[in-house]
Amino acid sequence: MTPFPYAELFSLLVPQIILVLTALAVLAADAFFLRAADTPVRIKSGVVLSLIGCTLTIARTLHTPLQANLLDGMIVLNPLVQQIQIVLLLLTMLTVLLFVSSSFTQHVSEYLALILLATVSMMFLVSTQNLLLIFLALEMLSLSLYILTAFNKSSGQSAEAALKYFLFGGTSAAFLLFGFSLLYGFSNSTNLTHIASTIHGSSLDPLLIVAIVMVIVGLGFKVAAVPFHFWAPDVYQGAPAPSAAFIASGSKVAAFYVLYQVMVIGLAGAEGGATWHTYAPGWVPVLAIVAVLSMVLGNLVAIRQTSVRRLLAYSAMAHAGYMLIGILAHSEQSLPALLYYAITYAVTVLGAFGVVALVEANTGGDTLAHFAGLSRRAPIASFCMFIFLLSLAGIPPLAGFFGKFYLFSAALSTPAPTLGLIWLVVLAVAMSAVSLFYYLRVLKAIYVTDPPADAAPIRTPFVHNLVFGLIAASLVLLGCTPNLLLHWLRHAVDLVASR
Amino acid sequence: MTPLSSCLMLSALLFSVGFAGVLMRRNAILILIGIELMLNAANLNFIAFWRYGSAPEALTGVMFVIFSIGVAAAEAAVGLALIISIYRHRKTTQIDRINSMRG
Repeated sequence: MTPFPYAELFSLLVPQIILVLTALAVLAADAFFLRAADTPVRIKSGVVLSLIGCTLTIARTLHTPLQANLLDGMIVLNPLVQQIQIVLLLLTMLTVLLFVSSSFTQHVSEYLALILLATVSMMFLVSTQNLLLIFLALEMLSLSLYILTAFNKSSGQSAEAALKYFLFGGTSAAFLLFGFSLLYGFSNSTNLTHIASTIHGSSLDPLLIVAIVMVIVGLGFKVAAVPFHFWAPDVYQGAPAPSAAFIASGSKVAAFYVLYQVMVIGLAGAEGGATWHTYAPGWVPVLAIVAVLSMVLGNLVAIRQTSVRRLLAYSAMAHAGYMLIGILAHSEQSLPALLYYAITYAVTVLGAFGVVALVEANTGGDTLAHFAGLSRRAPIASFCMFIFLLSLAGIPPLAGFFGKFYLFSAALSTPAPTLGLIWLVVLAVAMSAVSLFYYLRVLKAIYVTDPPADAAPIRTPFVHNLVFGLIAASLVLLGCTPNLLLHWLRHAVDLVASR
Repeated sequence: MTPLSSCLMLSALLFSVGFAGVLMRRNAILILIGIELMLNAANLNFIAFWRYGSAPEALTGVMFVIFSIGVAAAEAAVGLALIISIYRHRKTTQIDRINSMRG
C-alpha cells in the first residue's frame, strides 16, 4: 500500500486553506477587536480582510499552475480548473463589495465567513472528478447558501425563502445521492472516468437510466432548471441582496461546470439521441427536455412579473436553458462557449442585483413602480442597469450577445450537427427575442416613467458605483473584444484535452 | 431473489416512502423526516453495492456512507434552525400557511 500523499495534498490545497484561514481571521477580528465598534466599521474591516484573503488566493493560484490528479480523481487540478477558481474568487469579491453599506444584519463576520466558506466549497466542487467529493462540496455549498438566505432575521420573507430553499434542496440532494449510489453500484467506483469506462454498448442498463434521471434531478436543482425551479423565485425575492446575487452568480458557474463534468466525463458513452429517428435513451434526451422547458417557461412567466427580483429569477431559468444547450452539444468548442456564457451571465446578474439592492434601500421595494424614474434619481446606477439588462437580453455589442452567439454556433458546429440541436437553437433564438420584452419593461420604468413627485436624488455609495462601473465596463470590453476571455478559456481547454 | 436485489428493493421502498412523505406532509418537520429517509435509502444502496460488489476490500462504499451520515446530520441541524426561525415569524410550521410569496 502506498503511503498517503499528505505533502502533495497540502500543496494542492493551499488556495482553499488560505480562504478558510481568512474566514477564521474575519471571525476572530470581529470577536476580539471590534466588539465595541459601530456596525459600518465592522463591515468595512471585515470586507477588507475578505478581499485581502481572496486576492492572496488568486495570486497563489495564478502563481503556481498545477497539473494533478490525486487519490482516484478526488483532486483534479489543471489550467482550466484554476481559471474557473479565479473567476469564482472574483465573483466572491464583487459579492463582498456589494455587502458594504448593507444594514440587514448585526452579525457581520458570520455573514462574510459563510460567503468565504461557500467559496471554498465551490473551489472544491470544480476541482474534483469523484462522486464523493462532488456530493460533499455540493452539500457544503448548499448548507452555506441556506443560511445566507435566512440571514435577514427581521424579515419573514427571508426565513420563508430559506425554508423553501432547504426543503427543495434537501429533497434534490437525496435524489442526487441515490443516483450516485446507483452509479457506484453500476461501476464499483466513484471516479467519473472509471464510471465512463464501464459504460459500453448501445443499450443501456436500466439501472444506469434511473441513475441518470436522478442525477439530473439533483443537479438540475442547483442550476435552477425547470421543472426543479420552484425555489428560485422565492429565494431571489426573499434573500438579502448580496446572498441572492451570490446564489445567482458564483454557485451557478460552479454548478454548470460540475453538471458538464458529470454528464460529459462521467456518462460518456451514455449520451443517447434526442432526434425523432435516432432516439436512444441517455442523458441527452432528458437534458433536452429540461432545456426546452426552462427556456419556454422561464421566458413566458417572466413577462408577467412585476417584481424585478422575481423577473431576474425567471430569466435565470431561461438562461439556464440556453446554457444547457452548451452541455447538450458537448464538443471541443462548446465548453469554452459555455464557460464564457456562464461567466458573463454571472457577472451581469451580480451587477443587476446590486442595483436592485440600491433601489430597495432607498424606495423600500423592488417592483417596477419602485424603479420609476430611477434615471433622474441615480443616473450612474441607471446607466449601468441599462447595460446589464441589454447584455442579458443579448444586444450587440455587449458580452451577452457574444455569449449567445458562441454558444449557439458551438452547438451548430458539432461534428455531426443533429436536427435536434438545430431546433433547440432555433427555439433559443426565438425565446431570447421574447426576453427582450421584459427587460425593456424594466428599462422603460427606469428611463421613461416619471419619478414620484417627492423623489429625492439617491446617494449611491462610492463602492457600489465602482462595482457597477467595473462590471458595465467589462461587459462592453468583453463584447467588443470577446477573444480576451475566450482565448484564455480556449487555451486552457486545449491544454487539458491534449494531455 | 439474491441478497443484493432484496436490499435494492428495500432501499427503493424506503426512498419511495420518504418521497411520498415529502410530497404529502404539510408540516416542515415531517418533510425533514421524509428527506432523512430518502438519504438513508441511498446509504443502504451504497452498503449493499459495497458488500455484494466485485471489490469489497476497497472500502469506497462504506466511506461514502460515513460521510453522507455526517452530511445528513449537518443538514438536519441547519433545517431545524431554519424551521425555528420561520416559527418565530409565523407561529406555525405548516408549509401551506407559509406562502407570503407567490407569482
